Amino acid sequence: MNSLAENVVLQQDGAAGGGPSIEQGAAAALGIGLAAIGAGYAERGIGAAVVGALAEDSISPGIGILLTVLPETLVIFALVALFV
Amino acid sequence: MSAGASNPEYVNARVRSRRATLFADEDYRKLIRMGPSEIARFMEETEYEREINELGTRFSGVDLIEYALNRNLAKHFDDLLEWSNGRLYDLIARYLRKFDVWNIKVIIRGIYTDSDPEEIRTDLIRAGELDERTIDRLVEVDEIDDVIELLDGSIFGEPLASATEAFEETGALIPLENALDRAFYENLLADLGRPYEGPEANYVEFLEAEIDFRNARNALRLARSGADLDPASYYIEGGVLFSESELSRLVGDYDALVDHIAENGRYGDRLSDALSRLREADSLIQFEHALDAALLEYADTLSSIYPTSVSAVLSYILAKEREVENIRAIARGREVGLSEDEIEEELVIL
Repeated sequence: MNSLAENVVLQQDGAAGGGPSIEQGAAAALGIGLAAIGAGYAERGIGAAVVGALAEDSISPGIGILLTVLPETLVIFALVALFV
Repeated sequence: MSAGASNPEYVNARVRSRRATLFADEDYRKLIRMGPSEIARFMEETEYEREINELGTRFSGVDLIEYALNRNLAKHFDDLLEWSNGRLYDLIARYLRKFDVWNIKVIIRGIYTDSDPEEIRTDLIRAGELDERTIDRLVEVDEIDDVIELLDGSIFGEPLASATEAFEETGALIPLENALDRAFYENLLADLGRPYEGPEANYVEFLEAEIDFRNARNALRLARSGADLDPASYYIEGGVLFSESELSRLVGDYDALVDHIAENGRYGDRLSDALSRLREADSLIQFEHALDAALLEYADTLSSIYPTSVSAVLSYILAKEREVENIRAIARGREVGLSEDEIEEELVIL
């Protein structure tokens, strides 16, 4: 019992003592990367739908491209994290 | 093919755009005033253009319209199967197999009556899952046993094989046709389970409704005709409206049957108009059309609740079928000289 309590105390000390476990730049990079993955996933579905609609000739290619890249704005917003 | 990931987005985009080209209710009102050749001319200016042109040299009048409709339907439904992958393919194919059932029935009947393969071919609707080659081989076959052999391995092979005995005994086609229908409906809900929410739950609910309405229709017909047939042998499992014993009990009593449908929470409200009409006017056709319209409306609601799922495809399939049925009804009605009001009663208009 005693040794367990000591362990916990030691761990808390260790966490309080060191700096953040991940640097600011790395965290920003992580955020942008995740945003890009999310945007990519969203574009997958939209792209498929746009190709379908284009094949039926029901929308113009311009609109299709515009709709496809809409989620890309998320990645641009995520770039803000680089500058704070 | 059913391999690969499901692609509902792509199929949905295409289906919704095709849905927009279907005839509107005003078009039907216009068509009602036309004769068969005028209808054909009208269709030539719509998306039936290609079919009308292809068949125009061989057929004329109502036949031309009918074959063009069938061919167009087959084209669109084949496309659906071609576009879809994975799970989506599986769900669509389940429903479209009813055209396989139709085709096999036509072929078996053709062989039974020694019809010319060419004649059989014109009556086929090649919209199901069976590929062109199999169907072509089926048409050329001379014996019903060979048909069953060729279908070995598909979902129809085994049920047909076990029905041959009854067929050889009686010499009537009914055991074979019942086996086909049964195989279709049993496969409809097979290994879907009973999911509780999400698009798939609604898909199951829809298929159950299809089975329920089929049961209701059969029961009403039996109750109406007073024929001395065992209702249990026409019962299809999987629905929620009737159990087998309930159905057998209700067939004898027409009013109780209608009451039973009205009391059901799922359908009672939706069909209240149709049911009251059924009580008063005694028109079974009206009721069947009301059922169709209710089913169609229901599928439409589903497709707006779950935009990228199988629901939109399903509602397109139903809407297309309705269009084909309606145009055929108008053309046939004009041919035999029904009045405009009479034809309008035959249509399913929302």
